[in-house]
Amino acid sequence: MSNARVETDVFDPVTLEIFWSRLISIADESAAALLRTSFSTIVRESNDFGTVLMDANGDSLSENTGGIPSFSGILPRTLKHFLAKYPPQTWKPGDCVITNDPWLATGHLPDITMAMPIFYQGALVGFSGSVAHSPDIGGSLWSADCRELFEEGLRIPPMKYLKEGEPNPDLHDMILSNVRLPDQVLGDLNAQVTANQVCGRRLVEFLDDAELDDLSGLSRTLQQRAEAAMRDAIERVPDGIYHATLDADGFDADETHITCTITVKGSDLEIDYTGTSPQINRGLNTVMNYTYAYSAYPIKCALDPNTPRNEGTYRPITVSAPPGSLLNPRYPAPCNARQLTGHLLAGVIYRALAEAIPGLVIADSGSAPSMRAVFSGLDRRGNRFSQILFASGGMGASAHDDGLPTTAFPTNAGAGSIEAFESVSPLIVWKKEFRIDSGGAGRYRGGLGQECEIEIRSTEPLQLSLLSDRWRHPALGVLGGHAGATSAIDFSDGTVPHQKSRTTIEPGMRLRLRYAGGGGYGDPKARDLNLVRDDIKNGYISAEAARRDYDMS
Amino acid sequence: MDERIRIGVDVGGTFTDFVLVDEGRDLIYTGKRLTTPDDPSVAIIEGVARLVNEAGLDASAVHSLVHGTTLVTNTIIERTGAKVGLITTKGVRDTLEMGREIRYDLYDLFLEAPPTLVPRHLRREVAERLAPDGSILLPFDAEAFRAVARDLIEVEKVEAIAVCFMHAYHNPEHERQAKAILVEAFGAVPFTLSSEVAPEIREFERTSTACANAYVQPRMQRYLERLEAQLRAEGYPGTLYVMLSGGGITTVRAARSFPIRLIESGPAGGAMAAAFYSALTDTEHVISFDMGGTTAKICLIDGGRPDRKHDFEAGRVRRFQKGSGLPLKVSVVDMIEIGAGGGSLATVDAMGLLKVGPRSAGSAPGPVCYGLGGLDPAVTDADLYLGYLNPNYFLGGEMPLDMATVERAIEEKIARPLGLSTLQAAVGMHHIVNENMAAATRMHLAEKGRDPRRYDLIAFGGAGPVHAYGLAQLLKLRRMIVPLGAGVTSALGFLVAAPAIDYVRSYVSRLEQIDWSHLNALFSDMQSEARTLLIDAGAQPEEITMARTADMRHVGQGFEISVPVPGGPLDETALPLLRQAFFDVYQQLFERTVRDVAIEAMSWRLSATAPVPNVRLNFGGQPIGAGTALKGTRPVYFQETGFADCNVYDRYALRPGERFSGPAVVEERESTTVIGPGATVNIDAYLNVICELP
Repeated sequence: MSNARVETDVFDPVTLEIFWSRLISIADESAAALLRTSFSTIVRESNDFGTVLMDANGDSLSENTGGIPSFSGILPRTLKHFLAKYPPQTWKPGDCVITNDPWLATGHLPDITMAMPIFYQGALVGFSGSVAHSPDIGGSLWSADCRELFEEGLRIPPMKYLKEGEPNPDLHDMILSNVRLPDQVLGDLNAQVTANQVCGRRLVEFLDDAELDDLSGLSRTLQQRAEAAMRDAIERVPDGIYHATLDADGFDADETHITCTITVKGSDLEIDYTGTSPQINRGLNTVMNYTYAYSAYPIKCALDPNTPRNEGTYRPITVSAPPGSLLNPRYPAPCNARQLTGHLLAGVIYRALAEAIPGLVIADSGSAPSMRAVFSGLDRRGNRFSQILFASGGMGASAHDDGLPTTAFPTNAGAGSIEAFESVSPLIVWKKEFRIDSGGAGRYRGGLGQECEIEIRSTEPLQLSLLSDRWRHPALGVLGGHAGATSAIDFSDGTVPHQKSRTTIEPGMRLRLRYAGGGGYGDPKARDLNLVRDDIKNGYISAEAARRDYDMS
Repeated sequence: MDERIRIGVDVGGTFTDFVLVDEGRDLIYTGKRLTTPDDPSVAIIEGVARLVNEAGLDASAVHSLVHGTTLVTNTIIERTGAKVGLITTKGVRDTLEMGREIRYDLYDLFLEAPPTLVPRHLRREVAERLAPDGSILLPFDAEAFRAVARDLIEVEKVEAIAVCFMHAYHNPEHERQAKAILVEAFGAVPFTLSSEVAPEIREFERTSTACANAYVQPRMQRYLERLEAQLRAEGYPGTLYVMLSGGGITTVRAARSFPIRLIESGPAGGAMAAAFYSALTDTEHVISFDMGGTTAKICLIDGGRPDRKHDFEAGRVRRFQKGSGLPLKVSVVDMIEIGAGGGSLATVDAMGLLKVGPRSAGSAPGPVCYGLGGLDPAVTDADLYLGYLNPNYFLGGEMPLDMATVERAIEEKIARPLGLSTLQAAVGMHHIVNENMAAATRMHLAEKGRDPRRYDLIAFGGAGPVHAYGLAQLLKLRRMIVPLGAGVTSALGFLVAAPAIDYVRSYVSRLEQIDWSHLNALFSDMQSEARTLLIDAGAQPEEITMARTADMRHVGQGFEISVPVPGGPLDETALPLLRQAFFDVYQQLFERTVRDVAIEAMSWRLSATAPVPNVRLNFGGQPIGAGTALKGTRPVYFQETGFADCNVYDRYALRPGERFSGPAVVEERESTTVIGPGATVNIDAYLNVICELP
């Protein structure tokens, strides 16, 4: 590596490979530190966090490998806001700036963003950043039905969480006085600080080993490489203007309508959402940062899945949405459940591009948007609990295979264990099984959704918050594939709760949740009949559906 | 301890390795034969006979044979196991297929799901349900169970049955009733109860473990019984032991119910050998580094014991991708496997960068230099080009290596497309594979909150000693140790392992709400089972040591940490001790403690061990070369010097106390140790190469 002391941007392919891998490892080590010490269920069960190493300009250099797209892509944008408030020359070693402002960061209040400067030989060479979903942020818990941002919790503008390594006691008190689980929240804030510190220490070691004074040349080179890879990939998409629309349940009369126009010209790809519904006074609004992240992510998956990500990845992709629309709301629109809108974008983007790049896309996923039931109250021993049932619908099918059953997309929230869930809550999950016939028919079948049945065994009534969609609008198929089954939630007594509501539930009640299936791909009549027979044998589809959809006699 | 004759046998994919220890005469003999994949016992019987003969012994003198095998892991990878039927609690038969509902690769839209060992039509349900506290919500429907079992066995013709009921880790009563029916009505069909194979909370992992055990059970039972019978027929009176994934050994009788615990028996042997060498060389903190043809394995050893963990992932769709395989709740030596071996192939990626591995040339066709038709340059080719390997002394000269073809392949496939010289390309390949291993090691240390600077490196495996120096440099380690006989280390590891067994019971409770009599009952249950088993394996009751731990976490936290639990009956006076032990471990791992969040325990573990056999290393059975160790010189490439003439030593002629300094290469039959400029080497009393880095 001694030949790496370079004054120019020229790195040989061996050195560049080694350096690039090291920088990704740094983001990954930082992520490991965060995951290891975090309290939040949502961080560990649904990977709801990200870590990013950024250069002195605040541009992304490397992101943790398993990073949630909404986080890693947005962090550099948040850091730019930090730098506007605190110019680069004012940062001191050990400073840490925090925010959860939805417009500056990741689109809802529970996500905390933190960034710290990294100094090498006395000079500012980069920033370490992390985002994680906090165990609590005050306000209305995780819900979709607030009418203003202010109901949704505490908003922290960019502020110093640490000043030269010392906690800012006023801010500390302010945060901890406004959340339900102060110890856990503090634990997770500290986990983020640790993650940022690990990132900083590792970068300093790297610069020592690499005999580099700063990151500027390397940063430029890596960003150019990633940008070139994305541009190459976009160039392989035929030039044109592609169009699709999507409807979702929205909130009561305010159905969600998304219009998506994709313009591919040479190596540039532009996504515009003109024609999308206006913003509403419920928490489904998706700020521009989040709209961008959930637009860029499906493009990256389809066109250039293998190149490591950094700032260069995102340069060829532009995204726009009319101000005041659901995908670019004005402050202070409520946005707590913005995933119910943002997760839909992958499906509409893939349907727009399906004719142009049929082998690279998947049909719409029943698991988008994610469906969640949040239970809270007192358990049978009087301990306070709050548990989220993590479960997913089916993924969309592709030109290569059936959609995966019960798998989240575009998010990657896993499911926890039922036994662990029951051990810390007064709930019994009587059923958690595949929903027969829920995958959209097609040459390749959409992934199956699932059905869960939960009994409330507390002695006191519990609080239930539901965040769901697709009751009326299923995941659509592509290129002749059929739609998957819609989702549904009801109680054992036959009553049906509001799909995006907070309600009280009585002991002894049973809640039934049916998760949507994924869309099918291609004409069902073209499906291999052996696959249809296997599906019948395993109870993935009924004999009746086989006759109806696949002409199986 | 008695002076005994013991033999270790490691059946690997390509070779079966043998080590014989004669404690009476203080001698060690080693051997190697090609594995006979259709019936591994053929090579075992032949190899053992040859070794016993070489040692001038008779079969009747052999006290015991310790066996490790890849049969379990291969059965899962190759999907050649039994047709299994699974019976679960009503409502959750799809747990096995749903898994954790995650995508193991965030950017691959077309990823292949991990395999499901039991297809849905062979998964049946019966009415029964327990609450998390073990109380019965719905009684077990014995008749329904009998009916589904009958259908699976008689109509579907399944060869093994797995049973997994919800919360059976807490109360196994319903599974025991199921067992009674299986034994009574279908006695000949092997079965696995989840509460026996993995009595731990989390139904997917427990079901997966039960199914995997049932899947490998018929084949392993047949194999072990036949091997035992054959040894008996050949006149070996001794006991046959098998190596467990956790680093202990056990009898065939104990292993036959839970063959899944053998899944990592070979690699565990390697780690146990490294632990043995760490004690032998008085090294407190060791990174064990085993690099072969396809993979490198890294394991941390502190205080003479390899790290262990209690879950493992088998049969991955993508070998080096976490989450792409079947999770198993088994105790294993905690090691990471990296796609970095002598056969790892170099490629130029779409962005014009040099990549090495994880794709491997394997043993056929192998690297270009083998001359067996390999066209793409592999790590071994670069090692040869750089002078680390001797083209005329590979495998002791049995396989001459072809330098001219290697140079051409590196030039054409790597150097030219990248615009580099052949030398730069070869150096790049060697460096990148080292970097890949260093990155994975750093990550492993980081996940455990350990400081790399406290560690020394012990290297073995064919490619380990070639790359150890470069890896040690990258990790900034100061010392590396290369034992003699790097080619049979796992088999030696079997002989330095003790009879041992691990037990676990899940009982979820906040510490201050623990029912102490219940907990004491769990421990005394595990203790008496362990004692019976180890005495059966030949241990003296007074020699057995028991260690207890608990998996604990803060309420609300996702990670459990392993916390020591005091021995003897426990009551509320243990509470402050447990709490403090939790804080101590937490502090060590995470460099902070959180005092005011409640602590809960998930699972309670007991690890019982008999004393470690006392093996003295004397390679009397090795052909030790006479005369001078310095064979000559040859040009070898180092970063600091470029190509420069460098001393070449004969490993077998190096005597205890000998010293020299780098640059140097030390050649033995199965490997070559590379020493960089400025390093100093001394040969210790056990013929280990001890190298201090500059």
